[in-house]
Amino acid sequence: MLLVITFFLYAAMAQMWNLLAGYSGLISLGQQCFIGLGGYTLAVLAEQYGFPVWAAVLVGGTVAALFALVISIPLFRTTGVYFAVGSWITAEALKIAFTNWDYVHAGTGIFIRSAYRISLGEVYYAALAVGAGAVALVYAILRSDLGLGLAALSEDEIAAQSVGVDASRSKLACFLISAFVTGIAAGVLYLQQIFIQPYNAFSIDWTVRLLFIVIIGGIGTVEGPIVGACFFVLLQRVFSDYDHFSMLLMGATAIIVMLAAPRGIVGELRARWGFEIVSTRRR
Amino acid sequence: MLALVQPIANGVLLGGIYAAVAVGLSLVFGVVKLVNLAHGDLIILASFLCLAATQAFGISPFVAAAVVIPTMFMAGYLLQRLLLNRALPKGLEPSLIICLGVSTVLQNALLLVCSPDARSLPTSMATMTIPVAEFLTIPVTYVIGFVSAVIMIFLLHVFLRKTFLGRAVRAAADDAEIAQLMGINTGKIFAAAMGISLVTAAVAGIIVGTTFTFYPHSGPQFLIIAFGVVIVGGVGSMIGTLAGGIALGVAQLLGAHVLGPGYQLLTGYLFLLLVLSLRPEGIFGKQA
Repeated sequence: MLLVITFFLYAAMAQMWNLLAGYSGLISLGQQCFIGLGGYTLAVLAEQYGFPVWAAVLVGGTVAALFALVISIPLFRTTGVYFAVGSWITAEALKIAFTNWDYVHAGTGIFIRSAYRISLGEVYYAALAVGAGAVALVYAILRSDLGLGLAALSEDEIAAQSVGVDASRSKLACFLISAFVTGIAAGVLYLQQIFIQPYNAFSIDWTVRLLFIVIIGGIGTVEGPIVGACFFVLLQRVFSDYDHFSMLLMGATAIIVMLAAPRGIVGELRARWGFEIVSTRRR
Repeated sequence: MLALVQPIANGVLLGGIYAAVAVGLSLVFGVVKLVNLAHGDLIILASFLCLAATQAFGISPFVAAAVVIPTMFMAGYLLQRLLLNRALPKGLEPSLIICLGVSTVLQNALLLVCSPDARSLPTSMATMTIPVAEFLTIPVTYVIGFVSAVIMIFLLHVFLRKTFLGRAVRAAADDAEIAQLMGINTGKIFAAAMGISLVTAAVAGIIVGTTFTFYPHSGPQFLIIAFGVVIVGGVGSMIGTLAGGIALGVAQLLGAHVLGPGYQLLTGYLFLLLVLSLRPEGIFGKQA
């Protein structure tokens, strides 16, 4: 059960990373900002103000999206690897800020006691909703005008802009959506984990896992993050006794995938045999 | 006013250490056009290799450098030759992700082989300080690190300007295709550049190991520092890297002096974000 919950939530967050990196050309190393903010909003609202947990999860997503809006002002002035590093530095800055902030209990973290009353079944349905919702959302975006604009931008940014695609608006929209959904997924995740502290919540490890999931599954495809998340969760389960071995294998697999099959599992399936579950093409 | 001398002095010395950490990243970024995300973990790998050598042979870490440096050069040469040269023609992203994969594999392998305990390279100078004035004491390890860093950067600068291999590296950095026309085997040159980068990482690893405590997962922390220095100082200029390191070190320690020691890294990061949004190519970088 726990495995499936983890799968749904990672699939959702991976879809959002894919939306940024695979479709908007924004390689983000800062998803952990939104994960930490979503989780902490839930923790603070539920613990210190007695908010109902599900409302707090939604507020968490909103807080993450607002932060994304604010941080996009400096970050969107950078491109490529500087954007990636900038988003990572922002996350590290948040980590230290939270570690020194007494309002959120600084480094000792927060126990979300109201989460004890939430049953695993409820969390399961929430995770299912988030996971399925994320996939549906990405599919809807890709079939919409925003998606058409994104496809054009990824081909040739200048040509797309010359026919009226607003590049910065499209990228900002994806950035905000990604932050919102990642924040909500994090809220559900911390609802299940019940304890949050800055070192883990804002750790780069989150984004590294999401990156590997999307790369192995297939970047730029809708099914890719799902397949990748499945692979990741299975690997964790199989090697659950050997702590770091599953991440070592994830890294090694990502290297092999990049050398032998750069389009990822789904990408290669699609390229060689035209295998597609979810088509985003317009006929 | 005098109270600022200590943080500024510490900042300058720390900045030299930061520059040593960043030099390898800057070299590879400038020459091979590759962002080596494994750089931090390679530095920590060097620290662990040095630790193993000191424990196996009972020698000082600085003597162990004679073993660690050639090992790291070979590792870098092979890494580039076998893995990265294959990925480079496919574009920037595949090599980026391969480096991230190497970083993850290294970190987790170190965590599996050596326990996650804190380590440091043992040296008798670890707690020694030089009292210069009543408002200024200088930690010896910082001085050793700073001097080693400056010497290394100076040597690299001379190497790139005066030797044939250095000029070949710069030629390959400027225009790989024309360099090939001139008879330079860019595959071997890139491998040599990566090897040199890992040599600097080895030196940085020894400096870091003797100055700070390190864990198997300390890699990303130093990668961020390296990135920060490259952002502030600009890519491709050795002097820029040194200046960037010093700027970052001073910014960090002045921030810690004003706000408190817990905020040292935070002021550094805010300074970096500021430079990133205002002048991303760095102080000495070429305008994009």
